Amino acid sequence: MTDPACAVTDDGATVDTTADRGRSAVVMRGIHRRFGTTVALGGVDLTLRHGEIHAVLGSNGAGKSTLMKIMVGLDRPDAGGVTILGEAVDRFEPRAIRSRGVALVQQHFTLVPTLTGGENLVLARPEGRLRPDRRACRDRLASLVERYGLEVRGDVVAGAMSVGEQQRLELLRALDADARVLLLDEPTAVLTDAEADQLLAVCRRLAEDGRAVAFITHRLAEVFSGCDRVSVLREGSAVISDAPIADHSRADLASAMVGSESSGTYSRRASRSDEAGAALLQLRGVRAGRLHNIDLDVRAGEIVGIAGVDGNGQADLEAVLSGRTAPETGSVHIGGATMVVADPRSRRSLGLAYVPSDRYRWGLMRPMDLADNLELGRVPRVRGRRAHRREAARPALQAWDVRSSGPAARAATLSGGNAQKLVLARELHDEPSVVLACYPTRGLDPNAADAVAGRLVDRAALGAAVLWIGAELDELFAVSDRMFVLSDGELIGPFTSPFDRGVIGLAMGGLAPGSAPSKPDRSPVPELEQQEPSA
Amino acid sequence: MTLTIGVEPRAGAVRVATSAVRSTLTVPIVALLAALIGGAVLILAEGEDPFAVYWTALDGVLFGPRGLSDTATAATPLILIGLGYALAYRARLFTIGAEGQYLMGAIASVALVTAAGVRDLPGPALMVIGATAAVMAGALWGGLAGFLQVRFGASVVISSLMLVYVAQAFLQWAIRVGIRDPDSFIPASRELGAATLPTVPGLDTHLGFLVAIVTGPCLALLLARHRLGYRVSVLGHNADALDANEVASRRVMLAVIVWAGGLAGLAGFAETAGVNGRLGDSASLGYGFTAIIVALLGRLHPIGVVLAGLAVAALKIGFEVAARSHELPSSLVGVIQALVVVFVVAGDALVARGRGGSR
Repeated sequence: MTDPACAVTDDGATVDTTADRGRSAVVMRGIHRRFGTTVALGGVDLTLRHGEIHAVLGSNGAGKSTLMKIMVGLDRPDAGGVTILGEAVDRFEPRAIRSRGVALVQQHFTLVPTLTGGENLVLARPEGRLRPDRRACRDRLASLVERYGLEVRGDVVAGAMSVGEQQRLELLRALDADARVLLLDEPTAVLTDAEADQLLAVCRRLAEDGRAVAFITHRLAEVFSGCDRVSVLREGSAVISDAPIADHSRADLASAMVGSESSGTYSRRASRSDEAGAALLQLRGVRAGRLHNIDLDVRAGEIVGIAGVDGNGQADLEAVLSGRTAPETGSVHIGGATMVVADPRSRRSLGLAYVPSDRYRWGLMRPMDLADNLELGRVPRVRGRRAHRREAARPALQAWDVRSSGPAARAATLSGGNAQKLVLARELHDEPSVVLACYPTRGLDPNAADAVAGRLVDRAALGAAVLWIGAELDELFAVSDRMFVLSDGELIGPFTSPFDRGVIGLAMGGLAPGSAPSKPDRSPVPELEQQEPSA
Repeated sequence: MTLTIGVEPRAGAVRVATSAVRSTLTVPIVALLAALIGGAVLILAEGEDPFAVYWTALDGVLFGPRGLSDTATAATPLILIGLGYALAYRARLFTIGAEGQYLMGAIASVALVTAAGVRDLPGPALMVIGATAAVMAGALWGGLAGFLQVRFGASVVISSLMLVYVAQAFLQWAIRVGIRDPDSFIPASRELGAATLPTVPGLDTHLGFLVAIVTGPCLALLLARHRLGYRVSVLGHNADALDANEVASRRVMLAVIVWAGGLAGLAGFAETAGVNGRLGDSASLGYGFTAIIVALLGRLHPIGVVLAGLAVAALKIGFEVAARSHELPSSLVGVIQALVVVFVVAGDALVARGRGGSR
């Protein structure tokens, strides 16, 4: 052990418990980091203390992972200082920082699937140049297993372990170097509820040994059941910094994550139709991935907003509704006809337009020109001459205000807002009866976001059923006729206008309206335990 | 406002287009010249005068008694297979096993047109039967690698190459046992007889050359104006977007590799029926691999592939002529061809870096 502040003996576990409790282990001050024109972190303060579990919350892209990476030296700040165990960090280099006793368990597993648990352990900190024999590896793992009480089999290859066991192995590997500061990047995202509970209990024990533990999560329930302090990041700044858990309610945290003040001038719907139209999009008992038993009707002329903290089933909902994956049970109907899986053209002929959450992955071909991008999904068997095709694309680009050097420009040259307008121009061209819009304004500047929202509102006014999966509550309040909250794979709601931020915030925190606040935070969900690790 | 939109984008488009055309043409030409310079160094090392050797080669191709017609004949299989590779590579499907599809096409067509009962049909009918059988066999052999890719995720790079060895072994069996000419002393099939491709009047090469030359523009038309061509581009640039909006990408993958295999199979029939006259041990001279160079040198563009096929064939014929009057190892052509690939790939990387763009 290199750090003089923590006197640790060889048998380790129970030393320096109370003396260090509450003292700062890591202090970060005014951390700035930008990537190109994107500000990932704009002056963040964070303090991790010995003996405490610190939850770091934030929606996707809020800067949590960047902050963690800086703390372990995988990235460097543009400005600001980091102090680890009393010493300022001058070199942001993983090796140097690891030797000071900081370990990160990354979001994605870094195990070698064909090596056993013991071999994976030894691989991270080899002793000597020879490949160690299996028995030595197993023994080394066994001693750690015994010391920390984390059940991992030493002679089974990592690829054959459950996700929970892999997670525990990752954790043991981090503890192998006797880390005093342990960072966990969304450790529970892939775990079943029971496994997550177990992990929290382990973290608690490690904290009681005097370690500082930081924990990134999307799940609010865990914050209350297992953490001492909380920081909330939003768009690169700390909205809540180092606050004791007791000072905050779930609703507070949920609204801190998604923002509370009206930030943009989103278009409000001029007139909301009182008469509900026919249900054009229907989900019946849909179960897929994290989703359990979703029932939902979206009627002609209305916009239904889906709010919720990321990672509660949004990705599964998008995959099922866009026809990419089939629901495990249940069915999706569009205008009365059953959705066909993996046949995008039939999706379009049923009248479903799809604005994907990741437009560059699912919506556009960046190296191809705008005219070609506009034809995706609608291309005729025999096409016209290229010059004619480009000329034909011009009116659509103008009507949708896609600013570019013309139809021959490659989609890669477009700004985010114009790229999204290009997707909308294509998807809304055939006057779809149902529109699935997934985070349609994500990453757009206010003007572009406003334009995109306005187009979707217009489409609903013309009689389309619009399902809007969103992150910004104010935006959803402005555009939605009805709202639901997606929490832990279930839809809570409907909520109707005027929307109550407090109630919706609570629902996002996992508390259904009307249910007692004393409801247990976690109840084992048997269906989830069958989940296999994704490849 | 409308005026600006009307004028400015065209200027931009033209500029983009010219710079793309410039690098499309410069890279292969510079690469070819650089490879020839590299070859000159090797010729010097052999103690010969590179200028004299190159002059003899050029003179032999352009003015030699059979220079142009030999070049055309040698280019035929390279163009046909290269077109298939170009199609597959545009879809980012990196098959390298056209050699196997070529052999399977040759075997199937020869087996059919020399079969008892069929071989007595009139020549034109035999040619159509042979070509059809070759296309289908090549497509099937390519489709097998494609199927393994889309169904089991087995890399088409590996499986298509492995299937080459299967096809080579099958050829050995076919000419010794399966379709062996009982009257022949060496292992070979029967003579193709009436199925032999006729010589094109005035060109002094077989009909297959015309087919290859015409296939280039046909494929260019397919790519530019047919939905399949569009889907191939989308597959090459963003398979996820294709899956989400247009059609399941594995269907396009299969279609592409089947087409490429069909073209390679056709090359197998053209070479056997146009040049060899029967199926023997040397049914292929590695055309399936040389054609990779042709596809890359032709910038994956059908017209470019036709030109590149002619250029690579001319290189081969020219060096054959030069080797007769100079002391040169026959492996020199292979070295120069390999250098062409190296310089094309390096040139592309340099151009990409110069633009400051990463893909």
